[in-house]
Amino acid sequence: MDISTLKQKLDAQGYVCDEALAATLLVALKLGRPLLIEGAAGVGKTEIAKVMAAALDRPLLRLQCYEGLDESKALYEWNYQKQLLSIQVQMDRTGPDALTKSLFSDAYLLERPLLQSIRSEVPTVLLIDEIDKADEEFEAFLLEILSEMQVSIPEVGVLRAKTIPFVVLTSNRARPLSEALRRRCAYLYIPYPDLDKEVAILRSKLPNVNEHLAVQVAQAVHDLRENEGILKKPSIAETIDWVSALEALGISDLTEDARKRTLGFVLKSREDMEASGHCGACGHDGP
Amino acid sequence: MREGVYLEKMAEFAALLRHEGLTVGLRETEDMCRILSELDLADRGTVYAVLSSLCAKSREEQAVFRRAFDGFFVSAEQRQALRARHEAEARELAQRRMEAERDLQAGGNPIPLREDLQEVYVRMGEDKREQLRQMLEKTRGNLERNPKLYGNFIRSVFMRFLLEQQMAMEDAAVGSESLDPDLALLYRDISQFRETDIPRAAALVSAIARQLDAELSRARRGGGHSGKLDFKRTIRRGLETGGTFYRLSYRPRRQKRRRLVLLCDVSGSMLQFSEFALRFLKSMSEVSESSKTFLFSEELCRVNPFALQNMDAFRDYVRSSGLYGRGTDLGKALEDLCAQRPGVLGPSVTLLILSDTKTIDVPRAARALLEARRQAGKVLWLNPIPQRKWPYVRSIQTMSMLCQMAACSTLEELSSTCRRILQG
Repeated sequence: MDISTLKQKLDAQGYVCDEALAATLLVALKLGRPLLIEGAAGVGKTEIAKVMAAALDRPLLRLQCYEGLDESKALYEWNYQKQLLSIQVQMDRTGPDALTKSLFSDAYLLERPLLQSIRSEVPTVLLIDEIDKADEEFEAFLLEILSEMQVSIPEVGVLRAKTIPFVVLTSNRARPLSEALRRRCAYLYIPYPDLDKEVAILRSKLPNVNEHLAVQVAQAVHDLRENEGILKKPSIAETIDWVSALEALGISDLTEDARKRTLGFVLKSREDMEASGHCGACGHDGP
Repeated sequence: MREGVYLEKMAEFAALLRHEGLTVGLRETEDMCRILSELDLADRGTVYAVLSSLCAKSREEQAVFRRAFDGFFVSAEQRQALRARHEAEARELAQRRMEAERDLQAGGNPIPLREDLQEVYVRMGEDKREQLRQMLEKTRGNLERNPKLYGNFIRSVFMRFLLEQQMAMEDAAVGSESLDPDLALLYRDISQFRETDIPRAAALVSAIARQLDAELSRARRGGGHSGKLDFKRTIRRGLETGGTFYRLSYRPRRQKRRRLVLLCDVSGSMLQFSEFALRFLKSMSEVSESSKTFLFSEELCRVNPFALQNMDAFRDYVRSSGLYGRGTDLGKALEDLCAQRPGVLGPSVTLLILSDTKTIDVPRAARALLEARRQAGKVLWLNPIPQRKWPYVRSIQTMSMLCQMAACSTLEELSSTCRRILQG
């Protein structure tokens, strides 16, 4: 596969990307390196994993990170209830050694996303979402799987990957990630899209969108992101929501009144609403 | 075998990146060669994106990588233009050095100045050099009458002027602003923030405080358990496995609560720094839960924490309190703080002083600081004056001998100091 083929595949999935982004994705894919994606919330980090899965025709496995996430939720867990039942049923029929051995076999192993991804017969896309929300211990635990594509399970031994998954890690930079983790990944930073790209995204996601309205909204969102007083900058999904809301209301021109009525689709706090003050697209002063 | 074509060049580039502080190992060099040979990239922007994804693993590193990449991968025309520019600059510098040699003379003898100050003279603007030439011209007659006396005088005037210029040049060097405005703001002197920078700086402060909060709460929790068994939870979890205590639960380690007392200087010169420092500390939930805040200029005043929720409210509060625009009397403020009943200082308290040490009656302030140090568990001074200027301020020398002082002239320094304080 070359860059333009990958770009075409991503375009076909409705993901607007430039040559450089496609090249970075292809590099990570070719080298079998995990890809760490950073950027503000709502710039399309998670979406990359989804469209890559669709573009490469691979199953997507998702691990959502949170504080306290441990290996029993991420990697594997023994099915205790099933093991206990098995002990009670087989106690009289099987010898203790054979019984103990049988308790730690695949039949009692509950596979979680990490293990699923490396034991899958077909290559997968593994999304480790919001890694910055997980604890540092979990980050350290990921190192083995990311660099060696293998995991160690004390009762079973080392399990090597049958197929190499395409791993995507996303982070909102809520905390700095360890140097060791970064070193094992290829890195991609996604900024907010520029005006042309945002219009292209709107066209792609809403094929019947009014061109004039799309440009106006993209310009207005661009101005809101430039506004230093606004703390929660509008995401791409919110831009799409805004245009959808305007179209649902039958509005084809982003006037001051229309903006006031629908601004809640992009700004989600009173302070940000107050800070928005002026709408660049229609050139009027706000409230 | 095509990888070999790129090997030498990429090894050189990797060495340059290492020199710039990036962690680039053999694996990265090998990956760069492999990918360049496999993908046969023609577009410079794409090559940049590919190589940066392999070698620069954060936004900060990307800024460094961009500089190295632009310097390393240049076309023949660009290289020629660059060489011509460097040669022109070198010629101009040599010309200026010759002029400086001629200018920096008093009564036919060279003025004894340090080499770095001579270099400051070479690099400073023509208007500033003209000022010094005029001063020299005015004192020419006196110098001829009493060369020894006026020679020393001229040297001290030149020294002072050039030191000031050196500091101004360092303050003006704001780094990679064009590459990343947020990064530049992080390393810029807080007192140099323009009005337009303040909302961005405030957003940056909130982001860093959030990051720091998350980091510290994780670090505290990460300390493991106390070693004592939690019977209730162990028995409850045991029920899941038919009464077998398959997994044991332990009690978490008890967390030691820190109490902070903040003493903020809000005299004219300090207002901007205090605003940012307080904002920083207040954004951190761990601190705001257990801190008391006092403001002072000539008098001491306890602050209602709700008044510090946003910058405008803080400014209004300071102005209405009557503290703003007055002189600084740290000694009185500390004495009043120590005399508060019920006492605010104690062995479990860390007293955080936010001040530039410029106060009236330094001996009294030093005595009061000793008393505060006796009462509080720990005293830490956050000083907005850059550390390189400390040797020139006598009050800083005095106060830094009496307590631990940290330079906090930039948001980056402020955040690392806060991290140190909270980690104990």
